[in-house]
Amino acid sequence: MTLADLVLRSMRKNLKHYYLYFFALIFGVTLFFIFSTLQHDHAVMEETALSAKMASGFQAATVLLFAILLIFVTYANDLFLKRRSREIGLYQLVGLTKAGVTRLLIIENALLGAGALVIGIGAGLLVSRLFLLLLMKLVGYSGFVNLTFSPQAFVETVVVFAVLIVITSFRMFWKVRKSNLIDLFNDERKDEHPKHPKPLRSGFLGLLGLAMIITGYWFANSSYMLNMFLMLNMLLVLALVITGTYLVFRVTIGWFLTLIRRRKNGHIGLPGALSIAPLMHRMKANAKSLTVITTLSAMTLAMIGFAYSLYYSTEQETRAVIPHDFMFDEMEQGAALPPEEAAEQFSAELDKAGIGYESAPLTYITTVGSFSGDNLPDILGLEGRTLEALLFDAGQLRASGLDVREPQKGEAVLHDSSISWVMKDSSFPFTATLAAGEEKAELNVEQLGEGDVASGWPGVLTQLVVDGDTYSRLAAAAPPEALHTVVAFNLTDKDDLKEASELFRQFEPGDFKADYFASYEDAIASNGIIIFITGFLGLAFLVSTGSILYFKQMGEAEQEKRSYTTLRQLGFKTGEIMKGIRRKQTFVFGIPLLIGIAHSIFAIKSVSIFFMTTDIKLPVAIAMTAYALIYLVFAFLTIGYYRKMVRAAL
Amino acid sequence: MVTDTNQIQARTVLQAHQVRKSFGSKLNSTEVLKGINLQVREGEFVGIMGPSGAGKTTLLNVLATIDRPTSGTIMIDGQETSKMKDAQLSTFRRDKLGFIFQDYNLLDTLTVKENILLPASLGGLSKKAAEEQFNDIAGILGIKEHGHKYPHEISGGQKQRTSAARALVNQPSMVFADEPTGALDSKSAAALLGTLEDVNKSRGVTIMMVTHDAVASSYCNRVIFLKDGAMYSELYRGDKQRQAFFQDILNVQAVLGGDRVDAR
Repeated sequence: MTLADLVLRSMRKNLKHYYLYFFALIFGVTLFFIFSTLQHDHAVMEETALSAKMASGFQAATVLLFAILLIFVTYANDLFLKRRSREIGLYQLVGLTKAGVTRLLIIENALLGAGALVIGIGAGLLVSRLFLLLLMKLVGYSGFVNLTFSPQAFVETVVVFAVLIVITSFRMFWKVRKSNLIDLFNDERKDEHPKHPKPLRSGFLGLLGLAMIITGYWFANSSYMLNMFLMLNMLLVLALVITGTYLVFRVTIGWFLTLIRRRKNGHIGLPGALSIAPLMHRMKANAKSLTVITTLSAMTLAMIGFAYSLYYSTEQETRAVIPHDFMFDEMEQGAALPPEEAAEQFSAELDKAGIGYESAPLTYITTVGSFSGDNLPDILGLEGRTLEALLFDAGQLRASGLDVREPQKGEAVLHDSSISWVMKDSSFPFTATLAAGEEKAELNVEQLGEGDVASGWPGVLTQLVVDGDTYSRLAAAAPPEALHTVVAFNLTDKDDLKEASELFRQFEPGDFKADYFASYEDAIASNGIIIFITGFLGLAFLVSTGSILYFKQMGEAEQEKRSYTTLRQLGFKTGEIMKGIRRKQTFVFGIPLLIGIAHSIFAIKSVSIFFMTTDIKLPVAIAMTAYALIYLVFAFLTIGYYRKMVRAAL
Repeated sequence: MVTDTNQIQARTVLQAHQVRKSFGSKLNSTEVLKGINLQVREGEFVGIMGPSGAGKTTLLNVLATIDRPTSGTIMIDGQETSKMKDAQLSTFRRDKLGFIFQDYNLLDTLTVKENILLPASLGGLSKKAAEEQFNDIAGILGIKEHGHKYPHEISGGQKQRTSAARALVNQPSMVFADEPTGALDSKSAAALLGTLEDVNKSRGVTIMMVTHDAVASSYCNRVIFLKDGAMYSELYRGDKQRQAFFQDILNVQAVLGGDRVDAR
């Protein structure tokens, strides 16, 4: 028998171990190839005018993808090598040299890698159009884009995966080299004997783990987080939460199960014997990989939750900054025409195009003053500082079509999209003392209004909406240079936005955007790319973590095979045994998922300040549900594997 | 042959009629059991002996419903197990049969007590009754004080006694033991066989034991010899001392063939 025969035979025999690994590899190659293609395809970039954003996004994604694939492939390889250690020992026992065994393994690995590469690139070529269409849909591009085969992407993919294969082959070489026969024969059985945990110590460490996670959560969302040591604070939170997670896996869960088990006093029952007992036994050895899986899951969940929220909230967030469809503001730098005149011309253009609209001039006053209140957020440093604020008349705003509340006399509503994330309900009310010319007003600021009311002087976003009387009083006293006008346009039919936006472009001075539609288009393009990239990266992460859990469970199932035989002989039915196994898998897959979700919720909560006006609970929930559903597929695959094993046990 | 008159009065627990078992494909099959007829009465302690390849373990597996016969009928406790479906067989095994294996087959992650109580968990035995059973049997087998230990913390003999206790906890109609002393040193083996003999006498448990060890089978009150898949001969202990019975067994073995010491 030649080495080639041996390779083929052993590959055929190991196929059932390999297929998910092979699938994950193919998936990785395909994704890598597509990302690389999209990154290099000039036609796509030029036609969509997304070049800069897209290229850098995809570049970052390919690096991340390579990192996760490297981790996944080495980890999976280690698991397989460990499982096959007896086989490797046997080859040596019958006279194959270490070099021969290494060659066998490396050829296998290379064949597997090359196979995945070929199929992956083939699949990539087939589905890249689909991916492109999806991307174009996400970024809101409706034109036709042709995608050509990119030799550059091809070369890049081949090189990267060749590197991957070389790295894993070298690890195999190293492992075989330093192994000796007796270890190889014992490797599979090397797992520890069950131990009686020390109740006091494990109780203490178990609670400590929980306490660390809770402290991390609390700290991340407390007011101590946001200060000049933000970076350090973030590291502290990460350290607390990850160490806590490790302790939870290593100690807390085992400790908790011990308590349950002790209460059962030997009457553990079949489901318990197949869930509680092996879980307790393996928790220690699995703590590290479960921590990695949980952390990766949390990262992925936070990433896709955040990205999807960005995408989901694009419209609302753009509206918050640009409340009117179009605005002409005299304060804009380099404006050729005063706003009223430009607005008149724009009106004429709209009329000519037959686009229905409402327009209203809004006046506002730039005032100087200060805020004072007991609960103003420290981070803003508002207390006692002199600041500029723009004063608007609620009546005028309402006339322009904005839904604002008319404040009582002497009261004001604050609009400021730039600081809305730190202003809480408890920050209100506070006092604003403002001066326009000689006239002074002391206003009681009651609440935070949604978004901005109009774009104002660049750099001054603090807008206060007051009642008509107060406004007129201050306006009368204000010097002429403090009085400004912005003309707001709102279209009757929002379907005309695109056309109107094109008409508006000729009036648009510089890069200050007062065009809602253009801003939205821009934002949806960026967010579309982000959700596209994070979505597929997340999928790659998910497939790797899910596969690793599956591989680990496959190993455990094989170690427990004898127990299943015994149980079947004792007269337990497959269904009864499966009940216990399902309970175990609920733990094995459920706990990393639940802890991952908890972590990511707190992570997203602490970055939810990015969203000015959107409640992101729904998009986050949608993203997490999608993740959990795909994740569950791996749990079902695992249970299927166990069922086959239990059925065959007798 | 000596006939034990006491045994004849007792109820038949196991009845095998023309049991055959072949392995392999239709074209190329080997018949391992060639029509075995066998009757075991309540309270008997039956040993099955024979050289390697005689079909001892196959017979035990077939009788114990772990494997199915190719043809023939088997009745245990009045029920025809050879006609039952898999699910029925499982329930039957759990409720009516007990098993002791050569390498104990304890679940490593369960304590001694948990291992012993495992069959009781689905058997409809109340927690209180199960606890009583455990105390009773573990007391007889001398492993009660090790209840909270894991299998790797106790000796081979104790492990096998745990396995025996697990076999007995459901008060089975019959216990099947496959080379129970195979992995034990002679002292532990003697202790285990002594206990099995005690349990057989005091609780009236019917036991069928496969062994290649003449010493082990001398604890039985009947020994069946198999050769090439067929019954070769049968010895009853009657009122004989164990030593005398041992000699009888050796004599049959000598006739049976040279390989008295069978490699296991």
